[in-house]
Amino acid sequence: MDAPRDPRLREVDDLRRQLRSLGYLDAGVDRFVLAPAARNRRPLAIGWLASVRIGVLAALLLGPAAAIGVSARVPGLITGARDGFVVAAYLGLLFGAACSAAAFAISLMASLLVRQPAFSRRRRGLAFAAGAAFTLACLAYLTLWWDASRFGAPGWRSLWTTIPLAFAAGVSLLLGHLVTVTTLAVVVSRNDGVEPAHGVPGSSRLVLAAAGGLTFCGALLLFSLTARSGRQIADAPRLAVVASGVRVRVIAIDGFDPRIASRLAGAGRVPAIAALLDGARAVIRFGDTRDPARAWTTIATGQPPEVHAVHGLETRRVAGVQGSFATDQRSGVGRALGDVTDLLRLTRPSVVSGSERRVKTFWEVATSAGLRTAVVNWWATWPASADAGLVVSDRATLRLEKGGTQDAEIAPPGVYESLRTVWPALRAEAAAHAARLRDGTEMGALLRRSAELDALQIAITKQVAGPNVDLVCTYLPGLDLVQYGLFGSSEAASASPASVAGRLAALDEYYVLLDALLGPAVGVSDDDLLILITSPGRVTEPGPGLLLAHGAATDARLLDDDAQPTDVMPTILQALGVPLSRELAGRPLVELFGADFARRYPVRQVSTYGVPSAPRAERRGEPLDQEMIDRLRSLGYVR
Amino acid sequence: MTLLPRFFAEYQHRIDGELRRVVPGSRDRVQEAMAYAVHAPAKRIRPVLTMLTAELCGGSSARAMTAACSIEMIHAASLILDDLPVMDDSPLRRGKPATHVAFGEAMALLAAFGLLSGAFSAIARGYEPPLGSRIAALLSDAVGAEGLIGGQAADLLATDQQITFETLERIHRGKTGALFSVAATAGAMTADAADDSIAALQAFAKNLGLAFQIIDDLLDVEGDPAITGKPVREDAKKTTFVSFSGPEGARQLATELCHTADRALQPFGRRAERLRELSAFVAARMS
Repeated sequence: MDAPRDPRLREVDDLRRQLRSLGYLDAGVDRFVLAPAARNRRPLAIGWLASVRIGVLAALLLGPAAAIGVSARVPGLITGARDGFVVAAYLGLLFGAACSAAAFAISLMASLLVRQPAFSRRRRGLAFAAGAAFTLACLAYLTLWWDASRFGAPGWRSLWTTIPLAFAAGVSLLLGHLVTVTTLAVVVSRNDGVEPAHGVPGSSRLVLAAAGGLTFCGALLLFSLTARSGRQIADAPRLAVVASGVRVRVIAIDGFDPRIASRLAGAGRVPAIAALLDGARAVIRFGDTRDPARAWTTIATGQPPEVHAVHGLETRRVAGVQGSFATDQRSGVGRALGDVTDLLRLTRPSVVSGSERRVKTFWEVATSAGLRTAVVNWWATWPASADAGLVVSDRATLRLEKGGTQDAEIAPPGVYESLRTVWPALRAEAAAHAARLRDGTEMGALLRRSAELDALQIAITKQVAGPNVDLVCTYLPGLDLVQYGLFGSSEAASASPASVAGRLAALDEYYVLLDALLGPAVGVSDDDLLILITSPGRVTEPGPGLLLAHGAATDARLLDDDAQPTDVMPTILQALGVPLSRELAGRPLVELFGADFARRYPVRQVSTYGVPSAPRAERRGEPLDQEMIDRLRSLGYVR
Repeated sequence: MTLLPRFFAEYQHRIDGELRRVVPGSRDRVQEAMAYAVHAPAKRIRPVLTMLTAELCGGSSARAMTAACSIEMIHAASLILDDLPVMDDSPLRRGKPATHVAFGEAMALLAAFGLLSGAFSAIARGYEPPLGSRIAALLSDAVGAEGLIGGQAADLLATDQQITFETLERIHRGKTGALFSVAATAGAMTADAADDSIAALQAFAKNLGLAFQIIDDLLDVEGDPAITGKPVREDAKKTTFVSFSGPEGARQLATELCHTADRALQPFGRRAERLRELSAFVAARMS
């Protein structure tokens, strides 16, 4: 049992508390904030200078904390410690300025109120109220920030939640206290320097402990009230594949118009496409497909842009930071903000990368399930991660053309070396294929360039994806480039009827060329399943896309009901025998498969696929950021 | 007996010399009384503090000398007034008869006013504007209703009264703290110090000044009159820190205040070693 405490010691404790409230026994933060008051400046000057110092402290305390939150909110922005420091510095400046302005406004308001007879004798109360208001605002912001950062572990009992909330309570109390002493200094100087008899409010350790406890409880309450159920990130379970024995070949074609394809198929000009159209097919109802990175990431992840976070091809890179963040280029405000920050040299345009993506692609899921995968030229696949199977990213062609040490354009790195050795032969093969186009067709250069690009992707795919690979995905941009080049420009809008007819003929010709490229893929073995996914591409009016399945396990039927782009991922994974995540937005189009396949391989589910790990990529070479922007600009993708 | 830091002697010597120049003894009775009060043996803690803070902030102690002497003159004037029969009625000061005992009350009063006006005159003549006017404003605040005068008035009203701790602090802040604070600030101002440095020195002086006063209260209860120069239990009718916390509690608080004063010097690093020695000396007075 504890011995009763000496009453004299209690008295000393009490005196110590009173001394603190009178400004003694404090050599720290209060003095730092109130230094401007040392020279008897005018009240506004004291308020302003002290508020600036509060801002400095807020910047130091909140900058790093906010950077942690931002790293979760904006994947891809912070790629390493250096980025973290720079972002923390930017956010520190922002929060420092905001806290300075708020503290100054509050002290200014208090200095005006103290002139009123009702408040002139309540200076301590006024200062306390100002500090309490600041504390509450700060606490609410920090708690909601942590809640929104998606770092929160299930339940408030977790240390990962309670420690940040305790930090939030501590920072809020400290900043609130500083606003209190600043306000007190301002109202005292307004009142001819006569100090209130009772000193600074809340200097007692007991009161401080009680306030700390209350603040922490308030943070917990707010956190539990605002926490969204099911938002917590659960550990991804191990994926058990029930091997269907099917090897899936996915070919993605942008800018594909089913009406033109059907017309040409009817005329017998595109036999491979005709065969595909006669097989199992679903019509995909796309929304806006003008941004290919956004649309094709939705297909690859089975999640809408709000979830996968790739909102557009064009992103912004903050000065001094390697990572980038998405800006909504479709909205006027987003574009204007981007333009302004570019003009101020705070940001510069960049191209979206896989680092911004918040969810796994179907090839990443298949790889994590132990399958062998290869992906070629899909949007937002750079930087190529060694964890994602064989990746020839959307920057790989540029790197192969330029040569030199690669900057994570291809993974594993050995594949780059092997592609470099056969690169001249691949170029020659692609050029030969493009040479099938008749000379003299309208905009022939555009067609040949697009054909070469498509042929190169097919050639690269053949080179890197051996017969043992379970899933191969190739994205072909050529048709979209041709369609956009022929009909998307302002010049096309005012073209003569003869010119339009010529352009249509050129487009038809490109379909024929594409069909020749697809021909070998359609002649699949019994174990192969070819899935052709098409999107309308960069057209003003949203049109339908197609999912055409040909080969093993398919049933020749048309699904005319509205399939969604998010249905593609579960359909592919179902064909491979990979269990589907309950988090997926779409459903597997099992109607495409034969009855026997559907019976033998029922849909199995897991709770989650987890989140993509940070790209494990070797980045030693010179980045191709500017070259990529230049190429996309020349192809009409970015302004 | 606790010895002053070694470096003190040099500063004391220079201050004494300057005070002899500013307040010369003469046949004039009132000037004699002024010189008697000022030249009595004393530690000169306040003026030394002024010179040390000036040096600490990159200035020169020679430039701070005028402010240092003015502060000591004001301090001497306050002691004359404090000892008067209508105030504390103390017959002994600095080991000698108080000024009013030696020269009579009227001469003592006049000497106190002479020292006060001499102090402000020295500041006005010694420093160019705006520094002179800023130091003068600081000094007048320290002397005025929020400083020495206010503290002494509260002290008189508190005699034989039960007072609160806040009132006691108010008394000490006015009677001791105000002049300590000005001593530190004025020195820094002569060196054109930054706001942060001035704030740090004010925190140092504020805590050290109160510690000094608490220790004075302790010495009043426990000290040797041969050393303190004051009769024991002279303040028996007054409420002191010892009344609130007992000798042990007062000793503990004084130690904490000295430590806080030391912490306030952290921004200056090792350059503030002499101020730390001063703080150690104040703390050692009670041991």
